[in-house]
Amino acid sequence: MTDKTTNDIETLVRQLGAADAGQRAEAAERLCRAGTAAISAAVPLVRACGDADDPTREWAAAALEELGPPAAEAIGPLVELAQSDHSLVAYWAITLLGRSGQAAASAVDVLARCLSAADLSVAQRAAWALGKLGPAAAASRAALGVAAQAADPRLARLAAEALDAVGP
Amino acid sequence: MAYGLAGLSPAQAQQLPAGPAVKPWDAVLVASFNIQVFGESKMAKQQVVEVLARVVRKFDIVAIQEVRSKSDEVIPSFVRAVNADGSQYHYVIGPREGRTVSKEQYTFIYDTRRIEVDASSLGVVPNPGGALHRPPMHARFRTRIQPAEMAFTFWLVDIHTDPDEVPQELQALVGAFQQMQALRPDEDDVILLGDLNAGPPEFSALKRIPGIGWAVSGVTTNTRRSKTYDNLIFTQPQTSEYTGQWGVLDLQNTFGLPLEKALEVSDHNPVWAAFYPAEHRGQAAGFMAAQPTTVK
Repeated sequence: MTDKTTNDIETLVRQLGAADAGQRAEAAERLCRAGTAAISAAVPLVRACGDADDPTREWAAAALEELGPPAAEAIGPLVELAQSDHSLVAYWAITLLGRSGQAAASAVDVLARCLSAADLSVAQRAAWALGKLGPAAAASRAALGVAAQAADPRLARLAAEALDAVGP
Repeated sequence: MAYGLAGLSPAQAQQLPAGPAVKPWDAVLVASFNIQVFGESKMAKQQVVEVLARVVRKFDIVAIQEVRSKSDEVIPSFVRAVNADGSQYHYVIGPREGRTVSKEQYTFIYDTRRIEVDASSLGVVPNPGGALHRPPMHARFRTRIQPAEMAFTFWLVDIHTDPDEVPQELQALVGAFQQMQALRPDEDDVILLGDLNAGPPEFSALKRIPGIGWAVSGVTTNTRRSKTYDNLIFTQPQTSEYTGQWGVLDLQNTFGLPLEKALEVSDHNPVWAAFYPAEHRGQAAGFMAAQPTTVK
């Protein structure tokens, strides 16, 4: 990545915090168009999923879809954001933690608690993410066992698959 | 396996018909286009809308993914832009789908002078167990450039997979495809098209469907020219109406756009395939010749 690209991303991240919604949406859209070059903006983009402005949220979510696994230094902030009351923020934080695989081992306890989130999309994604962590998520076996009995068939299936991935 | 091997060169792609008046009489052109975050902010960019409208006018039907808006006015407004040159396109649109508060809609935009839709055929493929993030939308179409009793009829099944659960979704699409095949005993043509977030090397699950094949192979379909994510998938001998012609409409080459401007339109290029306008019921199946083709 060039210095110019890095500077551009930093500028756009600052713009995500602008008072004007149009400015924030433009920043999210341009970060989306930057593709994987915007990886350093992963945490601000997850926060932007909680923006009150619809286009800002939609562009931020679209950017995150294509971003790949985040940098190691993003894991801590993402663990915090996984506990957000805003379901889309929690969903995307959990998704990025799942993409990190075993590098997100420090997130296991939080992800296990997310299995009982009121928002099913969050609970289901937590089960998926724990499966991606594999054996590093061994401490979540009990919570996964409960989730595997959930009434929601998708949550139950993902938790059962995660149990298989975590191993004995 | 891939049907045909004939991707169009950029120069050939530019020969695609510019409007309905010059569309071929011996084929209908069916396209798939993921228009990334297609909502108000994209519709506010006149140059982007103009490129999108020109794309649609090149085809008889375009299956679109990623309509993202809480407003119901985005697609009607876009179709008005498409028809600004006298074209007569119309659309059908599906419900907002997705597990989170961020929803997407599928839509089919079609040239009413050459295609009609069975309004009673619109629906969403059942999604047992919630395996698909955005269950596909289906609709049944018929060509209008042949007498009705001879015209090619077919299901289109529009899909945008979740990039984080591609293997599971491809597995689920096997069941979805087979459900569509069984939905009407008088319809054997099912064309699954969209953004699969996977290319032919990852289609092993789909190979469980007897006779399955796909149009796009060996070329990239995203605007950055790094991935083959978009395709049209159908079976032989059932869809023997496939002409063997297919292509990727490269936004940069076709419209002379630098990458950054092309990305303002979408991060995906449209992909398309051509089908004969008359039914080939009972005719022998056959794979297409592996030679380059040009759409006239």
